[in-house]
Amino acid sequence: MIRQIIYKEIIENLLGLRFALSVFLTLCLFAVCGYVFMINHQEQMRDYWRKTNENLSALREQSSVLYQVAFYKQGIYRKPQPLAICAEGEEKALPNFYEVNTFTTELPITKGQANFALPQFSSVDWGLIISLILSFAALVFTYDSFCGEKEAGTLRLMLANTIPRYEVLLGKYAGTMITLAIPMMIGMLVSLIIIIPSKDVAIDAGEWLKILVLILVSLLYLSIFVLLGLFVSSRTGHSANSMAILLLVWVMSVILLPSLCRIVFDVTCEEPTEQELQRRLKESRNEIWDNSARYGKNAGSMSNNLSDPMNNPPARARLQNAVVDVTNQLLQEHHNKWLEQALARRNFACLSPAVIYQRTCEAIGGTGINRCADLYKQVKRYGIDLKEFIRSTDLEDPQSLHLIGPEHNMAKSWRAISHNPVDFDSVPKFQERTMTIGQSLKLAIWDVGLLMLINLGLFAVAFVSFLRYDVR
Amino acid sequence: MIWKIAKKEFLLNLMTFKFAVGAIACVLLTVVFMPILAADYRQRLKMYNKNVVDNETELRNVIVYRNVKHTIYRPPVVLSAFSAGLEKQLAGSAKIELEKVPELSVTERGGNPYLPILAVFDESLIFKIIISILALLVAYDVVSGEREQGTLRLMLSDPIARHQVLLGKLVAGLITLSVPVAITFVIGLVVILSYPMVALSGSDWIRIGLMFIASLAFTVVMFQFGLLFSCLAKRSSISMVLGLFIWIVFAIVIPNASVQLATQFRPFESQETQNGRMASLKEDLSNELRTEMDNVKELFSKSIITSDKRDAFGGYYAKRRDIYWLNAEQKLNNLTIPIKLKYADKFWDVEHRYLNGFFRQKHLAHRLALISPISTYENAMAVLAGTDLAGFQDFINQVREHRNEVVEYIRSKTDDFSSASFFAICTEKESTEFTRLYVQKQEAKDEQAKAKAEQALKEWERANPAKAAPLNLQDFPWFKYRQSFARDIRAAVPDLATLLVMNVILFAIYFTAFGRYDVR
Repeated sequence: MIRQIIYKEIIENLLGLRFALSVFLTLCLFAVCGYVFMINHQEQMRDYWRKTNENLSALREQSSVLYQVAFYKQGIYRKPQPLAICAEGEEKALPNFYEVNTFTTELPITKGQANFALPQFSSVDWGLIISLILSFAALVFTYDSFCGEKEAGTLRLMLANTIPRYEVLLGKYAGTMITLAIPMMIGMLVSLIIIIPSKDVAIDAGEWLKILVLILVSLLYLSIFVLLGLFVSSRTGHSANSMAILLLVWVMSVILLPSLCRIVFDVTCEEPTEQELQRRLKESRNEIWDNSARYGKNAGSMSNNLSDPMNNPPARARLQNAVVDVTNQLLQEHHNKWLEQALARRNFACLSPAVIYQRTCEAIGGTGINRCADLYKQVKRYGIDLKEFIRSTDLEDPQSLHLIGPEHNMAKSWRAISHNPVDFDSVPKFQERTMTIGQSLKLAIWDVGLLMLINLGLFAVAFVSFLRYDVR
Repeated sequence: MIWKIAKKEFLLNLMTFKFAVGAIACVLLTVVFMPILAADYRQRLKMYNKNVVDNETELRNVIVYRNVKHTIYRPPVVLSAFSAGLEKQLAGSAKIELEKVPELSVTERGGNPYLPILAVFDESLIFKIIISILALLVAYDVVSGEREQGTLRLMLSDPIARHQVLLGKLVAGLITLSVPVAITFVIGLVVILSYPMVALSGSDWIRIGLMFIASLAFTVVMFQFGLLFSCLAKRSSISMVLGLFIWIVFAIVIPNASVQLATQFRPFESQETQNGRMASLKEDLSNELRTEMDNVKELFSKSIITSDKRDAFGGYYAKRRDIYWLNAEQKLNNLTIPIKLKYADKFWDVEHRYLNGFFRQKHLAHRLALISPISTYENAMAVLAGTDLAGFQDFINQVREHRNEVVEYIRSKTDDFSSASFFAICTEKESTEFTRLYVQKQEAKDEQAKAKAEQALKEWERANPAKAAPLNLQDFPWFKYRQSFARDIRAAVPDLATLLVMNVILFAIYFTAFGRYDVR
């Protein structure tokens, strides 16, 4: 019997105006999304490769002398991801430029300017279409599931059969989910068909798997709204009332609540300011320089002539390394505070299922805040690798002092780091590693669990509500 | 007869569940939003007052004309609680200096790059979303619902023209929806006026009145869309689905799409090209300055001594200086300041052209979004509140005029930048005397002569102390921000006209549709 209910629901939905309109709207949006993404992605990849190659050729020039490789500040750009079509998040505005050399990694900054005169919308990606349009469509399909059938008189006919009420509920749920999955899958297919032929977009096996997981998560998100619609429709007798309530709930949770939570968070929380950071940097640097004797005799002074008796190279190196260590530590702390604040703001907005869904998509797609933070870690790691390389190559040179310190004069006039040329191919170059499917899932597992919990809660509530529904 | 129908519809609407839900939602949201918005406005007003006072005090402490580098602040608009526009995104201040022409810029966000998107919300969000949905919900079953119930044919069995029925329903819808709109406005005003520092002037009240009319016009447009679908569909559920579909298109698809399309069709130049242009201009400027410096290098070679002190706005002034240095710097200023002024205009030209790219994009996005009444309404509200782009451009134009006035003022007071009062407090006479005594001290042959010369110098200094008095700013062209009321009203007219035209077109369409409607 349940199979017949499912079949009837699907056919009834497919033949209605609602389905035609939703399919039309979602197809248009997915197609536009795919096309816009393809164009932007091409441009971004071109830009990215040009800038990265500029950086590498500049590095090659420096590799004629080893210590210059150590001091050259490389500019690393964030690579555009193909999965940004699914969940670009706010990537346009997130930091995309990292400066690193052997000794320090600067804080990430955002290069490239957005038009400040335009309203700031998130870009149209799959996440937006599914979280806004398809969730709305879910409500439109289910708002009159029970009360509409009650008004038409067919609900009591259905329940006159020997069918338990929960099977009716399950049947309607399954029927609506399949009806919703159709425009979603067709839309995604259209999007993928548009972007795959483009040469710049390369989707490998891991990413196909991620797309599959995203489809499942999207279905989980949509089922929240389907169950919500079923619940509200089983509470009222008139479909108009049910629609009014559902619209209100939808507007609140998807549109108003995220903004409201962000505002409340902004108003109540303090941001770590730039002046504070500069002040702390200056303080700690002054503290070290004032106590320079701690690192050895004459650590605080230096003359370019190595044989000058005033010079104490090991002590100077220790001093400079202490300065750069404390700088790095302060920068890391500042960065952590930034990250904490951004994540806390997003977590606070997770009262809305749309934000939970967006967070999951970003975690699985490997985009968004987590990715930028991960990239920062990778860049720091690369700095350390570069330092190891410099140290090991420097050891081969008998003429250098083997003192790796951040002072340029020391390296240049004292030969603290070797002046020999180095083979450019052996210099480690930065390669961005995208997250594997396993890592993405680990990040997203809590959110998926949360979505499932909401689903179960709504199902239970809809179940109890329908059990007590007066079907006459 | 129209009034009878209208009254009946109105009373029926008031007693429906959906209207109650919508009205209560409006009231609750206003009560929740307005205090937050008002508190935010109060904070911004406090900051503004403090900044203005600080600036004025510092300006009154300036000692030489070179250091007149104050900042002009834009007062926060009280109606930004109703429509935020670009208030949060654009910086409300501009610095006045000789080397740079002020231009619009973005607010500094304290630097956390992981928090890029500002959460912008205001009272008009309630209108755009809640009240427009309420309008659709009230309107979707006005005709088709009555047909399903059977009362439409009863009503039309009377000797009543169809257009009278329609007009009655339209009037009823208008009155019904004006209730939540009015309540929202009134509660919003009450909340914001309960804060003591908020003062609304006469022109503010006229603006609020016009915003109320715009909100009503917008609500009636959405109501008429619902009515149109009701007249086209045989069943209410179809009309509702059509109404919701149109709402999604207007509220989400069109605003987003217009922005995306505008960025595609009118891309602006990359920042690198812009940086390149600015860098080459800077090089030209430094080249020209260098040639002038070479001209006066000889004069500077004779300079002996100067003692400088700190002035307001982070600048310096020369307290005591020898006559050669004084003359040299006077000549240098006379030659270089006009060049700097010329280049300031050139820099501004380049920057302005770059920003024009942004503005063209915005205008295109605005025009594309005119199809959606929600976007039109949002823009009308921003214009009426004074927080739209044109308002900011008006402010920055006034700041630029002020800068020109300040430059002319300084030019007239310092004799085309060549007077010593531009950068020093010592007069030429004092400087000559100081130089003579100092040179005497330097060239003293023995200890006795040196001591005598030093004594003479000290005595002279005691007799002529350095008078570091602040400038006399009696005829200074102080900045007064004039918010142009007429300009805002004129700018809002196209959007209001669009809403009215939409109203008329919709009325025409459903009028003909209802004329052919099968009421059985």
